[in-house]
Amino acid sequence: MAGADPIIRIRNVSKFFGQLRALDNVSLDILSGEKVVIIGPSGSGKSTLLRTINQLETIDAGSIAVDGQDLTDQAADINKIRMELGMVFQSFNLFHHKTVLHNLTLAPIKLKKIAKEDAEKIAIRLLEKVGIAEKRNCYPAQLSGGQQQRVAIARALAMNPKIMLFDEPTSALDPEMIGEVLDVMVNLAKEGMTMVVVTHEMGFAREVGDRVVFMDEGKIIETGSPEHFFQNPEHPRLRKFLEQIL
Amino acid sequence: MSENKVTIDIGDGAAIPTKKDRGLLSAWRLAFFGAVGSLLYLILFHPDPYLRLIKFLPDGILITFQVTISAIALALVVGLFTGLGRISHNPIINLIASTYVEVVRGIPLLVQLFYIYYALGQFVRVPDMLAAVIAMSFCYGAYMGEVFRAGIESIDRGQREASFSLGFNRAQTMFYVILPQALRTILPPVGNEFIALLKDTSLVSILAVSDLLRRGREFASESFLYFETYTMVAIIYLIITLILSKLVGIMEERMGNHGRR
Repeated sequence: MAGADPIIRIRNVSKFFGQLRALDNVSLDILSGEKVVIIGPSGSGKSTLLRTINQLETIDAGSIAVDGQDLTDQAADINKIRMELGMVFQSFNLFHHKTVLHNLTLAPIKLKKIAKEDAEKIAIRLLEKVGIAEKRNCYPAQLSGGQQQRVAIARALAMNPKIMLFDEPTSALDPEMIGEVLDVMVNLAKEGMTMVVVTHEMGFAREVGDRVVFMDEGKIIETGSPEHFFQNPEHPRLRKFLEQIL
Repeated sequence: MSENKVTIDIGDGAAIPTKKDRGLLSAWRLAFFGAVGSLLYLILFHPDPYLRLIKFLPDGILITFQVTISAIALALVVGLFTGLGRISHNPIINLIASTYVEVVRGIPLLVQLFYIYYALGQFVRVPDMLAAVIAMSFCYGAYMGEVFRAGIESIDRGQREASFSLGFNRAQTMFYVILPQALRTILPPVGNEFIALLKDTSLVSILAVSDLLRRGREFASESFLYFETYTMVAIIYLIITLILSKLVGIMEERMGNHGRR
């Protein structure tokens, strides 16, 4: 993969919330097929960084390019770019008024103009993949948190994105449900999906991450392979964070 | 977390009974069966003049319904656009919608009716019924706009973000994701507005529209039976609004919760 163009290129990005500098001159390249795990204390800017990639947060300085398209370019069609970027939220955000199946088929039918039958076929295959096809006719409120999050992953996959963004996907889950969601993510990683994951699950970071990024106070403090990261953390703040969390 | 059930309480319609509300339910029953009972008693035991009245008034009831239904349909459309305008990021559209709401809410409905019917009537001749419907929906559109706005704003931000993240633009997000959910939230207040509007249509009797109240006035002025006539008119309004509030309550439960609880 050496020398390949990064599929996500983040350059000198800054973002302010009023006076607060949420992102401070952040640069990060992510290659196609790479799994990048972003960790850091709460308020470190890791979720904000993830959300700038699909422009749920706008940026105040710098540039972001996804698959060669500059998001800060006025001419860029953000809705098109977002179709390439699947996103999974901490709070699932399934559409409450739609059944599981229709949560998956809504966007492909309306945006990609896929025929209803085909969209449903794809949806059922994805639901089988995340192990929840039998709940296809349920409404989200009838599912457990873990089930909802698996549906949310399937919904994002239904658009056949090139990249998947995960914003603390297990943080709102009861402990016994975290495993089922992580399993789905591990399988997805094995299939070669490009993944950017904000998480507190260090086990997942170690098992799946090609690269781990540690953020604090809006800056990337340290980047490295999981082995390097968990065995020889260099920066004192990272060492302190790992001591607290492990 | 996934709960986003928000109830908005606006309006001055009859209270909408729900299953849980035992107290309300019995109040509803008392009022309803009381009204129906009195109606039957009066017709059966005092057919003169009540039987004559009950034959005379239905034309007016029909007009009342016609005005109510036309006005509510128009008010829903006006309200939808007003609500969308009120949350619009376009400052001009936003200002127009907000000003409309402010102006309408600051002028009594009766004055608005007079204005559209008599004052504007000097310039444009509008048929009586149409003027009444336009005036009612102009006024109620503003209230409905506030209901829509509140309903849209009650939908969790995450729904919008999820929709954006799939590639939907703002309009698609509104249409496919936000509004369908908002409609469930606003059903009770819209039902309330519907009932309130039905009652307020009695104001159009001042214009030359022969609604229920005006038919009553016609009957009374010929027969001089004011007590009997207005007793009958009041009972009929009461029965209609009570039935409607019951229907809204049932609809609310049906539309309900998409599998919640």
